[in-house]
Amino acid sequence: MKCIVVTPDKTVLDVEASFVALPLVDGEIGIGPKHTPIIGRLGYGELRIKSGSDTKAYYVESGFVEVLNDVVTLLTDSAIEASDIDLDSSQQVLTEALAKPAHNEALTTLKEQSVAAARAQRRIAQKRALQ
Amino acid sequence: MAKARALDRRRRSIRNTRKITRTMELVATAQFKRAMDRAVAASSYTQRIVSLVNDLAHAGASVTHPLLEEHAETKNAALLVLTANRGMCGGYNTNMIRMSMARWKELQKEFGEGAVLEISGKRGFSAFRFRGIEPHQTYTQFEDKPAYEEVDELATRYIEGYYAGKIDRLEIIYTRFVSMSKQVPVHEILLPMTRLISDEDVTDFVSKPSSEGGKKTEADLKKEAVIRAAQSRLSLSGKANIREGGEIPFDFYPSAQSVMEEIVPSAFRIKLFKCFLDAGVNEQIARMVAMKAATENADQIISMLNMAYNRARQGQITNEILEVIGGANALG
Repeated sequence: MKCIVVTPDKTVLDVEASFVALPLVDGEIGIGPKHTPIIGRLGYGELRIKSGSDTKAYYVESGFVEVLNDVVTLLTDSAIEASDIDLDSSQQVLTEALAKPAHNEALTTLKEQSVAAARAQRRIAQKRALQ
Repeated sequence: MAKARALDRRRRSIRNTRKITRTMELVATAQFKRAMDRAVAASSYTQRIVSLVNDLAHAGASVTHPLLEEHAETKNAALLVLTANRGMCGGYNTNMIRMSMARWKELQKEFGEGAVLEISGKRGFSAFRFRGIEPHQTYTQFEDKPAYEEVDELATRYIEGYYAGKIDRLEIIYTRFVSMSKQVPVHEILLPMTRLISDEDVTDFVSKPSSEGGKKTEADLKKEAVIRAAQSRLSLSGKANIREGGEIPFDFYPSAQSVMEEIVPSAFRIKLFKCFLDAGVNEQIARMVAMKAATENADQIISMLNMAYNRARQGQITNEILEVIGGANALG
């Protein structure tokens, strides 16, 4: 099975994988080889790619996933390697997100999104800090 | 000796100028390659989004989204102009400035205080300032290698502004990349989005310039030759692979509708990003062509001066010989 991660800037990742866990908008999904074709909305959270005994973790931020012909393609705005996320700065991002205005429906959605993104980042940073 | 020496001095100064333009051409070629690589990398994302939209459309998802809807009243319009930070790129900046100046006047007439002018690139806003127009926002950080993050920030601001009713319309003026030999200044309306995203938005960066119909002027052909030479020197990376697919029974998480709604802002962001990438590539193409022309011109002037210098020198020697003979005759 192949796993490809594409951001608008570049193709971040193009690797063989035995198992991929990724955050959908309503929860995590695990994808093994020969998975049925799906199109899904990504949430904010951790993408784990297992190939052999090696597991790589990334933070992905919204976007889409397409599984087709044993290829998992993630289209996301940004994919950051989990080790590159700093706990302090993620906390700061969260504080900033919480301070955003929410005067109408659309703005509220936007605020919720950035808060969710910041929380997910912090969670990954915390997880790494514990390890 | 005076005339020959003056010619020699001129020749030397033009040789120096030629060195500079030649170097700038090479630099522009290298930067063009970089800008092109980014654009090609980005078009892979765009292409995948487009194929996703097609798959979703097959599944019968329709879209309604605030970004697609026109506001009931259009009071505030923003005009974003993409120019370069640096000059020496032929008509690139001038085209942008001329076009945006005309559009800005129209917008001011139509919206008065509601019109907002935003300019990216030093050349652009200094030209506007020179004419006594102060832009509301200026950006210099994009250069010819815009990062998605930076453009995304801008896009988020526009989206937020559109939601909040601070912007009712967003227009952009930039140079669109059509093919290697053709770049056109265009004026587009980005918000409200009139259509989502389609194959039109995927620029075919590596197609052959000769595939276009119509007659070509001599300048066009020359330009193509320059670009082809640059291309062969750099051997451009291949086109992103397109998936061949009929109808595939996808499962949608959570639903086709929901995915479609999420695609709308992404489509806007990527469209805006593409404008910046196009502008970056075109700036370098324009510079490459302009500098190539300047170098060739310098070559021509040098060869002309060479001839003039040699004539002057010969004339001088003849004169001297005549003088010597005249002197010898007078003595004898």
